[in-house]
Amino acid sequence: MSVARQQSLLQDSPAARACLLGNLAIVRGALEAGLQFFSCYPGTPSSEVGDTLARLAKDAGVVFEYSVNEKIAVEVAFAACLTGARAMCGMKHLGLSYANDPLSTMPYVGVEGGLVLVSAGDPSAITSPNEQDQRRYCDFLYYPVFDPATPADALRMTRYAFEFSEATRLPVILRPTTRVCHSSGMVELGPLPTRKNEIGFSKDPPRYVPIPDNARRMRVELTARLRHAAELLQASTFFPRRGHGRHGIIAGGVAYAYAVQVIDDLGIEDEVTLQQVGAYPIPAGVLDDFVQSVDSILVVEELTPLIEEQVSLAAFRCRRQIPVRGKLSGHFPLEFEYSPDLVEDAVRDYLKLSPRGIRGRAEASGPDRLKLPPRPPVLCPGCPHRTSFCMVNRVFGKHTVYCGDIGCYTLGYGAPLHACDVLLCMGSSITQASGIARMTGRRTVAYIGDSTFFHSGLPALLNAVLARDAITVVILDNYITAMTGFQPSPTTPDRAAIEPAVRGLGVQEVFSADPFDEEAALGALRQAERGTGVNVVVFHAPCVVNQRRTAKGRRRTSFAINQELCNACSRCVRVLGCPGIQVVDGVYSIDAELCDGCALCARLCQRQAIRPVGAEATA
Amino acid sequence: MNVAGREQASGWRILIAGTGGQGGLTIARLLCECFAERGHQVVSGQLHGLAQRGGAVQSSVLIDAGISPVIARGRADVVLGLEPVETARAIPLMSVRTLVYMNTAPVLPFVLAQRAVLQEADAEYPPVEQLVERVRAVAPDTFSLDATRLALAAGSGQALNSVMLGCLLGAGVLPVTENEFWSAIATQMPTALRETNTQAFHSGVEFARKRCQEPLLGGSPR
Repeated sequence: MSVARQQSLLQDSPAARACLLGNLAIVRGALEAGLQFFSCYPGTPSSEVGDTLARLAKDAGVVFEYSVNEKIAVEVAFAACLTGARAMCGMKHLGLSYANDPLSTMPYVGVEGGLVLVSAGDPSAITSPNEQDQRRYCDFLYYPVFDPATPADALRMTRYAFEFSEATRLPVILRPTTRVCHSSGMVELGPLPTRKNEIGFSKDPPRYVPIPDNARRMRVELTARLRHAAELLQASTFFPRRGHGRHGIIAGGVAYAYAVQVIDDLGIEDEVTLQQVGAYPIPAGVLDDFVQSVDSILVVEELTPLIEEQVSLAAFRCRRQIPVRGKLSGHFPLEFEYSPDLVEDAVRDYLKLSPRGIRGRAEASGPDRLKLPPRPPVLCPGCPHRTSFCMVNRVFGKHTVYCGDIGCYTLGYGAPLHACDVLLCMGSSITQASGIARMTGRRTVAYIGDSTFFHSGLPALLNAVLARDAITVVILDNYITAMTGFQPSPTTPDRAAIEPAVRGLGVQEVFSADPFDEEAALGALRQAERGTGVNVVVFHAPCVVNQRRTAKGRRRTSFAINQELCNACSRCVRVLGCPGIQVVDGVYSIDAELCDGCALCARLCQRQAIRPVGAEATA
Repeated sequence: MNVAGREQASGWRILIAGTGGQGGLTIARLLCECFAERGHQVVSGQLHGLAQRGGAVQSSVLIDAGISPVIARGRADVVLGLEPVETARAIPLMSVRTLVYMNTAPVLPFVLAQRAVLQEADAEYPPVEQLVERVRAVAPDTFSLDATRLALAAGSGQALNSVMLGCLLGAGVLPVTENEFWSAIATQMPTALRETNTQAFHSGVEFARKRCQEPLLGGSPR
């Protein structure tokens, strides 16, 4: 059924209403704007934008690529837009930071076809190592930033962003957050275009080459373009205002949707004026008019106090000494995402309404006393990474420092696999191993997956080779970018191979093995452990979930535990951390639904109590 | 809509709580499609951490109830609990007005095995009766059933979400009949799955019907 919905993204049904996921609304908006090029590196919560376009690209006449990393994605998209194409580029907030180098000069050079960078934010760091506020790119690197509150906003902002980008020659950022990307809502569909931009590149080096002389000229032109952008935003529909009450509330992003909800729930429409901020930089006219029409202001925004600062400036500019409540005033937390509850409490306090009843609070604290067990993410049953970690632990022991990286294998963190002692960002396993090995004088292990290795591990590995660092880089190759939803990786069959790339960088000791082939895996690791300088062990084994998903691999036979042989030594649970093994009232069992039949536990069991289903009864 | 004899403010706010792989997201999607098609204003949100099988997954479906995809504390009208612990985790969103259908079959969290072998505290899955009791203490209209068993009886444990959908539609609180709802879905379903899921759906409908006829809250009629 999901296919049917994606197909409908290509149907020309103007004025029709549909219920779309935020990320799909972005896709529809881009298609309505006549998208011609798209590139991305996957990252939650942005991934569905690229995955959907990957499937639709051919029918929609869009040139598509999953890029090797975000810097590359941005650069290729920028070059595409210089040929006149309307181009879009997708990533999560961390990817935008990775691409800061090209990003910082693109507004100077300017675009030809419209260029929209979709960079999804993750307040509360739900699937990221940090939270960050891409709205700050508006004054940091001179990007207009669109900030949807709902899927409907996402669609119309994306559609408008292309034309806006062409009118101002500025690349623009669309910044949805997790709650917009992964929420569905009603959207209004517009017509699909009958014509797209013409493609062609006209040589004009002074226009496209930011050597210092040109760059200084471009900097002045940029100021003029930004002024034009501010005028267009001032005249746009992205700053709607509701109500005429003397209590001002100004909100942006999904927090605006919460504010609308709370005002409706409390029935206080007559007492407030609600101003939405849908884009940045906020036009001065919008702010000045707002601060002059209310007696006090509550600012509702996630992450950094950007609107709050601008509102305070506007109040100063307009000589309005009115109270402004927000993060800086201590009325909202500086960290993490907001919720309707948080906003309701702040609004009640602001309007001096009675706080919510104690009964409500007692209900809310109910589960604390219940001690509900958590369900943290864990490596899947049958995951080859678990096997790889176990093999490495046997050879390198618990005193070696293990440097982790970004991917499913980050789940090797903590008990019982202990496969991640330090972590920073994409590609940092190798560089962190270098720094630690060079200073401690002890061989250090880096774990990195195939997609991450090609994303940013290549220059890191070359750096280590040049420094002759005593590190062992274990490349966990499962042929897919698994954690973000099974996008192809450079090692997806018939594409780039890891070993020639590694050798080409000057690594002499390169070993390859299937981690499930215990003898080969341990042999490779032992040689690496005794080696000098940089060496690389490549473990090749396909992601089991992807195998099952694509129905390529027949599922292996599940295992079961012979209760007469099992002496409850607990070794299987203590060493492997496999969610397929359960312990209830001291009895060990394997969930046949979960078990993938990798046999790692069977090989570990010293009493041979773990056997394939059907053979477990034979002692 | 009339839940527990009290007037509903406006619209319907439905929360689906379960673990990855139980089909909660499909429930949300089917409800969205059905009500969007019928001209209702629909908003839906999902929250799952790193997309992994076995993690906690909550999704919301709000019909004619505003633009926020997140249900506020105490404001859920209906909770479909696909798993007991996950249902209890949703207690903050419930109130005396909330109608709850709660599957009693647990999906054991992996941390329990770890805690057991390390002899740490809280290594046991909380008693299901206790979880039902806690939920009912907040939401008196809580109906518990072994929906996993009903799904298996229909032919597959994968049909759990169809049983829970049956409960929701059988309760008669939404502005669509169960036949209107199901006929649209069944036609899109591959034949191989249709029979099992249809049977599962109807066993849920039957459960909701039967239980809803019983007097509740001191005999107030529903």
